[in-house]
Amino acid sequence: MNYQFNWAMLITEPYFGWIADGVLTTLHLALIAWCIAFVLGVAVGSCRVSGSAVLRLFGGAYVELFRNIPLLVQLFLWLYVAPQLLPADTRLWWNRLDSVPYWTAVIGISFYTSSRIAEQIRAAMNAIPQGQFRAALSTGLTPVQMYRHVILPYAIRIMLPAITSEFLTVFKNTALALTIGVLEITATTRKIEAWSFKGIEAYTVASLTYLATTVAVIGVMTWLERRLYIPGLIRRGG
Amino acid sequence: MTAPIIQIQDLGLAFDGFTALDGVSLDVMAGQCIVVCGPSGSGKSTLLRCVNGLERFQRGDVVVDGTSVRDCRDLPRLRRGIGMVFQHFELYPHMTVLENVTLAPIKAKGLSKAEAERVALHYLDQVGIADQAGKHPGRLSGGQQQRAAIARALALEPKVMLFDEPTSALDPEMISEVLRVMLDLARSGMTMLVVTHEMGFAREVADRIVFMDRGSIVETAGTAQFFSASQTERAREFLHKVLAKI
Ligand SMILES: Nc1ncnc2c1ncn2[C@@H]1O[C@H](COP(=O)(O)OP(=O)(O)OP(=O)(O)O)[C@@H](O)[C@H]1O
Ligand SMILES: [Mg+2]
Repeated sequence: MNYQFNWAMLITEPYFGWIADGVLTTLHLALIAWCIAFVLGVAVGSCRVSGSAVLRLFGGAYVELFRNIPLLVQLFLWLYVAPQLLPADTRLWWNRLDSVPYWTAVIGISFYTSSRIAEQIRAAMNAIPQGQFRAALSTGLTPVQMYRHVILPYAIRIMLPAITSEFLTVFKNTALALTIGVLEITATTRKIEAWSFKGIEAYTVASLTYLATTVAVIGVMTWLERRLYIPGLIRRGG
Repeated sequence: MTAPIIQIQDLGLAFDGFTALDGVSLDVMAGQCIVVCGPSGSGKSTLLRCVNGLERFQRGDVVVDGTSVRDCRDLPRLRRGIGMVFQHFELYPHMTVLENVTLAPIKAKGLSKAEAERVALHYLDQVGIADQAGKHPGRLSGGQQQRAAIARALALEPKVMLFDEPTSALDPEMISEVLRVMLDLARSGMTMLVVTHEMGFAREVADRIVFMDRGSIVETAGTAQFFSASQTERAREFLHKVLAKI
């Protein structure tokens, strides 16, 4: 093998700057998308289990739509098709933005992930005993107060492990953003390879980024699980 | 003569075709303690849930302190006046005992946190577990959890308390500590509608015993009469079974 390793190039400019930008883009893209997805997912998941047939229908349609179209296809739809549906002046404003691909990726990944979080919320709420709902209502809480103070906090504790794995998925899914022109870490790696023919070094950095973040996320979530741990909670059947 | 505080009038309820309640009528006067018993599936829990509007009935009505449950536009307000205690306690596992008890007084009644905590500690003390206020329910024994649940209901200062088999999920040694709290409550003049098979409790404080079977009230009698001379064969049979178990 006559490939000449040159690890030192990774800390020389312009490569170092590119890598730093790529890593940061991956991180904030994942973080922003995940936060939006979480809020949307809680809202849609609550619709899925609400007493109103209209809300349940809306929630069901939302989940089926965003969960079943491949993320890659959704990204292209958001980039090329969705702007056509905007009023002309809004479309103009949108197209003039500096970072259209970036925000398209945020939107696409958020909606896709929110449908998956909605399903997790629904499953967690269905795992909560009926008696908890009855107890909360019997004390005179309104349904909204019941969800806000009793059911959701309980459900989120049940689904914390699922939320962790969902976050890791979002994080890996950000790599798809390169297909619509976002210079996240994987795209940056390809750029470095094209520029310097030093692909192995660059791909190593990308892999390490994903690995390190995964380890960090698992660490944070383990800490959070311990903090939110419900002492002595034994799940009973029925 | 004053009107009954709970009037159950010809109540009928079906779950997709299955008749769970079939023309139940019952009056409870303020300060009375009524014990409801009957075999599994006879509709006792369903009946209690109709009283605070947790279950939609198709026929008849329940009037609580002058308010018709059927026509009630503000169920949260109605429910605040009716405490409910469940077989499986149903404390919120992610909150401490104190938070469990203060949640509704703060959110539903609008008390300040300090005021709600003062009220909560008063009732936790009344049921004998003020020292457990800072713990999570999962750290308490079954008997302590049920007493906390009773305090949670009392903290709203309801006019009526509903109990749905409050001791049937408890180990024998914990049953008496919960019954003790309920006895004191009945003697202090609280209006209580209690589903239970604890016939010792019924004998002590019940003003009347109601026997249900298959969605109807089969027999209603004064306590002494129920134990000495039940009118119906079904009630006698049931009483034998329950008393034999103890
Ligand atoms: N949500 C529901 N949907 C369908 N059927 C129901 C529902 N709730 C109760 N039932 C049925 O209604 C009947 C009465 O139930 P209920 O729980 O009131 O009985 P119970 O007297 O409290 O019995 P137990 O002693 O077992 O608690 C039962 O046959 C039960 O299967
Ligand atoms: Mg029952």
